Amino acid sequence: MLRFTLVVLLLMASALPVLGQAVPNVEVGITKTAYEKTDILVGILDVLSGGIQSVDAATLIEQTLASDLKNSGLFRVGLRESGAETDSLSFMFAIRGSVEGPLRDAEQTGEAAPTTISLDLVTYPGGQLMLNKRYRPLPEKMRATAHHFANQVVEMITGEPGIALTRVVFSRGQGDRRDLYLVDYDGENQMRLTANRTLNLCPAWKPDGSEIAFTTYNRGMQGLYSLNAANGEVREVISQDGLNLGANWHPDGTELLISLSRSGDPEIYRITPTGEILRRLTAMPSIEISPCWDPAGRDLVFTSDRTGTPQLYIVDGDGAGRRRLTFESRYNDSADWSPTGEQMVYATRMGNITQLVLIRATGEDRRILTGRQWRNCEDPSWAPDGRHIVFASDRSGTFKLYVMDVVEGGARQLTFGEDPDITPAWSPR
Amino acid sequence: MKGISSKMHTMLSLLAMLALVSGLALFAGCGGSKDDQVETDPAAAGDAAEEAVETVPDPVAPEVPQEVEEAPDYAAMEPAEYGIEDIFFAFDQYDLDDVAMSTLARNARVLRQHPEVVILVEGHGDERGTIEYNLALGEKRAKAVRDYLVSLGVSSSGLRVTSYGESRPFALGSNETAWAKNRRAHFARP
Repeated sequence: MLRFTLVVLLLMASALPVLGQAVPNVEVGITKTAYEKTDILVGILDVLSGGIQSVDAATLIEQTLASDLKNSGLFRVGLRESGAETDSLSFMFAIRGSVEGPLRDAEQTGEAAPTTISLDLVTYPGGQLMLNKRYRPLPEKMRATAHHFANQVVEMITGEPGIALTRVVFSRGQGDRRDLYLVDYDGENQMRLTANRTLNLCPAWKPDGSEIAFTTYNRGMQGLYSLNAANGEVREVISQDGLNLGANWHPDGTELLISLSRSGDPEIYRITPTGEILRRLTAMPSIEISPCWDPAGRDLVFTSDRTGTPQLYIVDGDGAGRRRLTFESRYNDSADWSPTGEQMVYATRMGNITQLVLIRATGEDRRILTGRQWRNCEDPSWAPDGRHIVFASDRSGTFKLYVMDVVEGGARQLTFGEDPDITPAWSPR
Repeated sequence: MKGISSKMHTMLSLLAMLALVSGLALFAGCGGSKDDQVETDPAAAGDAAEEAVETVPDPVAPEVPQEVEEAPDYAAMEPAEYGIEDIFFAFDQYDLDDVAMSTLARNARVLRQHPEVVILVEGHGDERGTIEYNLALGEKRAKAVRDYLVSLGVSSSGLRVTSYGESRPFALGSNETAWAKNRRAHFARP
């Protein structure tokens, strides 16, 4: 009896490490440790009814699921159980499912009939069901359906919520005609947000995703405005004399940091979303700009050229406890504090190009992210996973946006086309 | 005519009369005689004159355009059009060199004469460096220019300051020639 119990316990114990192994060490530290990914199979979905439209929907969902899981950086994905591409993979999990499109008579009568998507996450090869979701999306929501399920898979297996439904806002255009655009994190569904025939730039997401604050020009004068993400309405936040630049929302969404030069030169202020000044944090005759809260909303990093050239400093929310963060290179700016709170990414000028650098909040472990082949890299912004950044690079000759995995260094191009894209900001989840 | 019957005679008379009547009708259809009559009538001459095509103009002296001294509307012009020149800067700098100061002295002379005009001083930078720091640097340049003009007696209420940083270059290109042209303070109509 005891032996039997032992055997059962051993079997259970051996089952657990399967899951244990499948939760990789999501240590997004800046040291590149060998990182284990989970191998997952995205299976061909069964098409139960609905003709060619359902087949297309199934293909789109399979492809979107596969790319979402790959983009997370946490999986190696196979689309076939065997074959040259997948022989090196040993699947732990598989995604299976079905697409049930509108029946024939519904098509003929023209009634709007929904398509039912059923998706399962199972262990492989055991087939033990871990997660099942059923969706009834409208045709234009097929991608979003796949994104939603991919997020569920990522969270179930790794414990990390996924980022497949996040988006990036950025400024596109030439000269003083640049508008804000929105794009899905994978480059799809590009959408224009402003068309006010002026220079709009430096957008900043409110932590709940409901608003985007941005700097714009009204008859040559700068102001900070805020765009409602749901209906596109724009309202004025603050328009002081001089610069109204580099807005950054507090993690609790009740206030913003901003650089205003109303006193004569740019200083950091805390303001309300309706433009009232709460507190002035700096008072130096030098340039103080580019403020960014830590994810706990306690300290902030900003740029100051009080020593003659721009460097990064950290202060607390009262403007006290100032310490200098950067000592290497003459020119450091555009810091963004990682959602994990441990490190920041910023832009540094080395020689005659601008490059991206990671550094711990303690000032240690400075590491250059972009080599010279990237040419100029600017405006980095963290994804909510604390692993990916979006930034602008002119390596192709024009500034375009790229997404980089800071753990592994791989990157993909996010935006294309002739006009320069600058100042991206990655949305919250 | 020997042998014409009385019937024939009547017909001939009728024909003659017809000819006479039709002849009169032809003449009646021609409006010439009627108009001639109207033109000589002074009361009706005005109406006819409007319909008539030709009027001989009176030999009066041609109209000389009045020479009105119109002051140029400076508020509607770009400052460059009335001689205001741009100021240039060294890389990462916002101080004014000798060339800049003498250019500003000339600009001040013009601006002092027109205190009613409001001008926008725009600061610009070249493409190197970050968006935000270049915006701040551009503003420093514009303010340095504004402050120097004020020290030369230009009214500060007539000078507004803004910065476009690297976003509105005057010259495209990634070389020192283009960069030097973009490190400037530019004067614009607001």
